Amino acid sequence: MSKVKLKNYGLMDIMYFSNKPKEREKRIQEASAAKTDATFKCNEKAAERHPDEQFFVIEKVTERAEGVKSYTLRKIDGTNPAFFRAGQYVVIRQLIDGKLIARPVSISSGPAETLDGTIELTVKLVPDGFLSKYIYENWKEGDEVVTSGPQGLFYYEGLRDQKNVIAVCGGSGITPVLSMAKAIESGDEDFNLTVLYGSRTTKDMLFADEFAAVMKNTDKVKLVNVFSEEEKEGSEHGFITAELIKKYAGEESYSLFASGPQAMYNFLDKEAQKLGLDERHYRKELFGSIKEPWTLPGYPAEAKDKVFTLKVKMCNQEYEIPCNANENMLVALERAGIAGPNRCRGGVCGWCRSKLLSGNVFIPESTDGRRKADKKYGYIHPCASFALSDVSIEVPNNK
Amino acid sequence: MGNSKFDCVVIGAGLAGMSAAITVAAKGKKVLLLEQHNLPGGCASSFVRGRFEFDASLHEYCGLGKKGDWGLPGKIMMEEHGLDINWIYIPEMYRCIGTTRSGKHFDITLPTGVENVIKKMEEVVPGSEEPMRIFMSLAKECVEANDYFSDNMSTVKKDGFLKTDSLYFMTHFSNFLKVAERPFNEVMRKIGMPEDAIDILDVYWTYIGADYDKMSFVHQAWMFYMYANYEPTINDNNAHGMTMACIEKFRSLGGEVWLNTKALKVCGDKDGNVTGVLTDVGMVETNYVIANVNPEIAYNKLLDENIKVPEREYKRVNAEKHGIRFFNAYVACNKSIEELGIKDYTIFMPGTFDNRKNIESSKSYEDNTHSVVVIYNVVNPDASPKGTTVMTFTICYTEDVWGDFTQREYVHKKQELFKKVMDNFEKDTGIIIHDCIEEIELASPWTFANYLQTPEGTCYGYMVDNWDTMLSRLMAIRKDQPIKGFKTVGAAGARGDGYNMTYTNGNDIGKIVLEEMEKEGK
Repeated sequence: MSKVKLKNYGLMDIMYFSNKPKEREKRIQEASAAKTDATFKCNEKAAERHPDEQFFVIEKVTERAEGVKSYTLRKIDGTNPAFFRAGQYVVIRQLIDGKLIARPVSISSGPAETLDGTIELTVKLVPDGFLSKYIYENWKEGDEVVTSGPQGLFYYEGLRDQKNVIAVCGGSGITPVLSMAKAIESGDEDFNLTVLYGSRTTKDMLFADEFAAVMKNTDKVKLVNVFSEEEKEGSEHGFITAELIKKYAGEESYSLFASGPQAMYNFLDKEAQKLGLDERHYRKELFGSIKEPWTLPGYPAEAKDKVFTLKVKMCNQEYEIPCNANENMLVALERAGIAGPNRCRGGVCGWCRSKLLSGNVFIPESTDGRRKADKKYGYIHPCASFALSDVSIEVPNNK
Repeated sequence: MGNSKFDCVVIGAGLAGMSAAITVAAKGKKVLLLEQHNLPGGCASSFVRGRFEFDASLHEYCGLGKKGDWGLPGKIMMEEHGLDINWIYIPEMYRCIGTTRSGKHFDITLPTGVENVIKKMEEVVPGSEEPMRIFMSLAKECVEANDYFSDNMSTVKKDGFLKTDSLYFMTHFSNFLKVAERPFNEVMRKIGMPEDAIDILDVYWTYIGADYDKMSFVHQAWMFYMYANYEPTINDNNAHGMTMACIEKFRSLGGEVWLNTKALKVCGDKDGNVTGVLTDVGMVETNYVIANVNPEIAYNKLLDENIKVPEREYKRVNAEKHGIRFFNAYVACNKSIEELGIKDYTIFMPGTFDNRKNIESSKSYEDNTHSVVVIYNVVNPDASPKGTTVMTFTICYTEDVWGDFTQREYVHKKQELFKKVMDNFEKDTGIIIHDCIEEIELASPWTFANYLQTPEGTCYGYMVDNWDTMLSRLMAIRKDQPIKGFKTVGAAGARGDGYNMTYTNGNDIGKIVLEEMEKEGK
């Protein structure tokens, strides 16, 4: 390309050029020299929305059914809990025997209640559940507890989901869906929600009164009880099948939301297939970490029941801890009291992301939520990884 | 407790921080890289939703070049640092759809290749060939002058500004001296560019975040020429792949990376010398700190009282205005680009091409719908599972518009905005996506403030302005870093925003720190 000759520009323009840095300096010298401690509205809002930690006092404990309690929490500092999207959870962080244990727990209140200063968590006692047992036995009114900010992706999104939602719930899986119903009642969400709620019998049902109260105020919410071991007028009997879903969905298009235990999903996945629902129309709440990895395809049988050595590098510290092959690696870190950031416990959120330095691990495909480059460069999510040999990893700080 | 003594500590693993860390570690120094998030990369990051991985940024790397003919950023990344990155070249600059100030509607796609761009512009705006040739020639000179300048930044005059060889510039880059600092649109008019063509060229303004009536010619000229001549590029594993390539390189040089670790204070002794960094895992000893932190936050919150910040530095940060910030919509559709009828990687949809109006509306929520979208599958078939498409829409703001929303209305404001953006996209392109969205995530300045902790959630550092140009910042690159043993890098630095610019800035500052170390025999 030939160089051009510029007629319209001359010596003055070169002066203009060379004066620019001086002009900038002049502008700087004219500014205030005050040490600023400016805060920014946007950053303040973001911090309210996504707090690292929320410090609560337990205001009220409500017995919901056998083994199920709800806890109404109010912030100690008097500010409102972080506003959330109905269906989200918080991670409870509880010191037990000097070790910090973290578990996701669903929010059963509606988002609007944060504006009155509270959120309500509902915890079900799980037979082998370490934290749920602790909470069930120990948490009482007046206690101080710590949670994360709201987390999770199980919520209604009008830009993606159909206006009609069929929510299939099992057991305490009803909790996030109650929050959605309350959000519809308060006007924070706008969709038609039909809940197909599977329980064994009437006495296993949760939140019957709460749903009744919501339905008094809005006709957008509908609850259908499906009992597997009881026949009752006005309820369905048996399992939640494709036929039953179709019966309540009618002719209009809908999104299927599912919230319940792993066994329910195993059944429902097949029913969803019969209904021809693709990923876009079928959304599931996480059910927590994978149990019994040896039942999954590709698991090398010889690793089961073994206890391996896990070498852990965390910043300037190094640890050597036992790692039970039958439990995910985050549990080993937790048992040793050195678990770093973690939230979903289901492989998808990536907060526990760590570098695998040596050794072999088993990563079930269904909960492998790693980034492509992380796979390439040997990063794992310990909450969804199982040791198959002695393993060495580098983890994020656990401050 | 292990060893906590380092030759240099880098605070913040954004691209500039990582680049500085590699630059210093490559000279055999023991370097620690601290990152408050559990993931390195800053803006150069990604996240997973369902079966999709989304690039957190609007990814279009500028000025990489090719082996044997690297652009300046490419030279540093690929040659000097030897990063292991597979680049994908994008064979077009952009498609843009909108109405110019003259009232004419344009829907044009600018190809890459300098000659192709010139031809295309002449085709759509007759009479622009000759001025386009002049523009490209001037732009090329700007690139060469900038390269020369970047290789000769080590001598400082008494007043703190860089010393340049004015005779060399006069003989080799005389046009550059005449036009580089003139406002872009003014130069365009002087070389006879038709008004419609100016509008079409101005569409890049969101990539720099500055008003083209005020911003220096060199800024846009450099970018435009680099995109036209070298093609835009993306990493085959998205921006997180680029980040991981940096981290791997840094680790291979013996660098330590501590994630989820916050630097609380940079500490000094009574004489004001840097002695260490207090982190939430304790004190780390070092005499050199490079902070990938906005200088306003660094000076006011990070440095302890022993380290004296010159008055002029407070004046400097107070004189600056925070740069643009974004609303991003990350969208995954369960249809392929063929099914959707998508052919272009980048589509600008400004509505109106009127630069003045767009700058004005970038200060408001209601009027601002001039968006740009990139569609990864057009150039990277592996960007998402077969039969699906991933795309990112972006809108930029020049003020803290989102700061006024309440917690309760926030999500609705995001959804309402995206509906408008999607509506315009469907009308402009005829591509229908609203009925096949499988995953969607909407990020506002709140989101960026949360992850990046930058003032007002800005991603672009300080606003480039006609008093605060890239060249005058570069002339003051040493003057703006007067504290011995403590430097800042990033988009608020001398080269401004962009992956390429921040990476280059990290390298500039890394070298300045190495010089300081050498001078003091450390």
